[in-house]
Amino acid sequence: MIRIDGLTKRFGDRTAVDGLTFTVESGRVTGFLGPNGAGKSTTMRMILGLDRPDAGSVTVNGHDYVGMARPMHEVGALLDARALHPRRTARDHLLCIARSNGIPGGRVDEVLELVGLESVARKRAGDFSLGMSQRLGIAVALLGDPKVLLFDEPVNGLDPEGIKWIRELMRGLAGENRTVLVSSHLMSEMAQTADHLVIIGRGRLIADIGISEFVRQGSNVLVRADDPDRLVPLLAEAGGSVRQGTDGSFIVIGLEARQVGKAALAAGIVLTELTPQRSLEQAYMDLTRDSVEFQASAA
Amino acid sequence: MRAAIADTMRSEWTKFRSVPSNIPILLATVTVMVGAGALTAGRASGTYRAAGAAFDATYISMYGGFLFAQISVGALGALAVTSEYATGTIRTSLTVVPRRGRLLAAKIWTFGLITLVMGEVAAFGSFLLGQTLIGAAGAPSATLGQPGVLRAVVGMGMIWSLVGLIGVALGCLLRNTMAATTAVTVVNFIIPIIGPRLMPAAVGDWVTVYWPISAGLQVTTTVHHADRLAPWTGFGLMTAFTAGLLVAAFAVFRSRDA
Repeated sequence: MIRIDGLTKRFGDRTAVDGLTFTVESGRVTGFLGPNGAGKSTTMRMILGLDRPDAGSVTVNGHDYVGMARPMHEVGALLDARALHPRRTARDHLLCIARSNGIPGGRVDEVLELVGLESVARKRAGDFSLGMSQRLGIAVALLGDPKVLLFDEPVNGLDPEGIKWIRELMRGLAGENRTVLVSSHLMSEMAQTADHLVIIGRGRLIADIGISEFVRQGSNVLVRADDPDRLVPLLAEAGGSVRQGTDGSFIVIGLEARQVGKAALAAGIVLTELTPQRSLEQAYMDLTRDSVEFQASAA
Repeated sequence: MRAAIADTMRSEWTKFRSVPSNIPILLATVTVMVGAGALTAGRASGTYRAAGAAFDATYISMYGGFLFAQISVGALGALAVTSEYATGTIRTSLTVVPRRGRLLAAKIWTFGLITLVMGEVAAFGSFLLGQTLIGAAGAPSATLGQPGVLRAVVGMGMIWSLVGLIGVALGCLLRNTMAATTAVTVVNFIIPIIGPRLMPAAVGDWVTVYWPISAGLQVTTTVHHADRLAPWTGFGLMTAFTAGLLVAAFAVFRSRDA
């Protein structure tokens, strides 16, 4: 479990992470979402003690990360897959890291096999494709068989087969009751992997929500009606927000189809179309855009 | 805790030996030191005629080669740190060893020991070959049993280690390979070797006596000059300078975001 409390980081006069509070539970995959520059990587770096918070605190399984003598047995992390010496072999790269935490060479061979790199173990890591580097970075994270795993944008550069592989790997790790935090700027990726979402924008928490709840809240309804001018104010009254669609249709956000139908029935308005649209990507964009607009007007 | 630093040192040794060029460069450096030392020693009869009683067969057999060797020793020390910044592996290193003091201490111990061992090999190699050549050239050669000779040869290996650690400290302070290797060369070569020829006499004399590496190299002499520091005094001064740089490196390394 990772507990983040009031975490704040400033670079000069820019606040990269701004009073962030959330908890990452074990036994599920938590997607860490936000547009580029939202503060995801900075937050991950603070979890690992690479950046010092200006305020707030982070604990991993109740401990301060920086105080851990052999942290690889507690926490495994993939931050930047390209961070390797180009002239070291893949196996030596892993061995350098394993040695620092007293992990034997045999475990290095195990993880190489686990990520499917055993055939290139003695090749220079500098010649690896981005996808192979990602696999090597994941091997680093798995070396200590840790209970907590952090992956920063792990699917970057992976081919479809690699994406499927890492998705299953993360689901498997969560299935073993480990804590898995995966960052991404793509909702579509998270929709297929995560059980829970932590969404941030401009360093602030926007949503900390289960994926099924998010699907429910994020649903849009496409509506066509005989008398839209009368219906739209009624829907707004019921708590929906309405956007103009194409061809005289409109899109209702924040209400379910059933609620739209009821409102139309009560007012005696004929609906010619009522289509629920469950676009997570759109819901995510709406959410983060709103946050950005709010931030901009507040500034 | 004791085990953890040993693990970190094994990791640092693995890092050093697994970059393909490091060990060949180190062996080439030993060869250069012995080879260039041999060239100086081969001309010893002329040197002896000119120097007379001040002739220092021990120092002559090592110093000529050391001038070249120290450049790559210092650069390897700087690279041990700056290559981690250049490739981004410093962040992985600090993630797996979050106690920064321990990581830097392990780097210092590991690189210090590597350069000490190879420095002793180079020192004894150039001394032994050099004495044979000096004797053949008709000048009085030294033996390890004579006063101060063993101290001078062992001391040369220790100077290697200090030069390497000055490289590590400057690498840590500057983080950039180009800047750090340039700084090492300026500190250990340009200022003490070329500097006195270009500087005003008073400054040049001061540099010749008190500049860290000039002072430190007194430990490799067996004939004492009245106007230079005593062997261990000079070595102590260079050690203190190196330690000062390392303390600064620790302070910066601990406080900086990685």
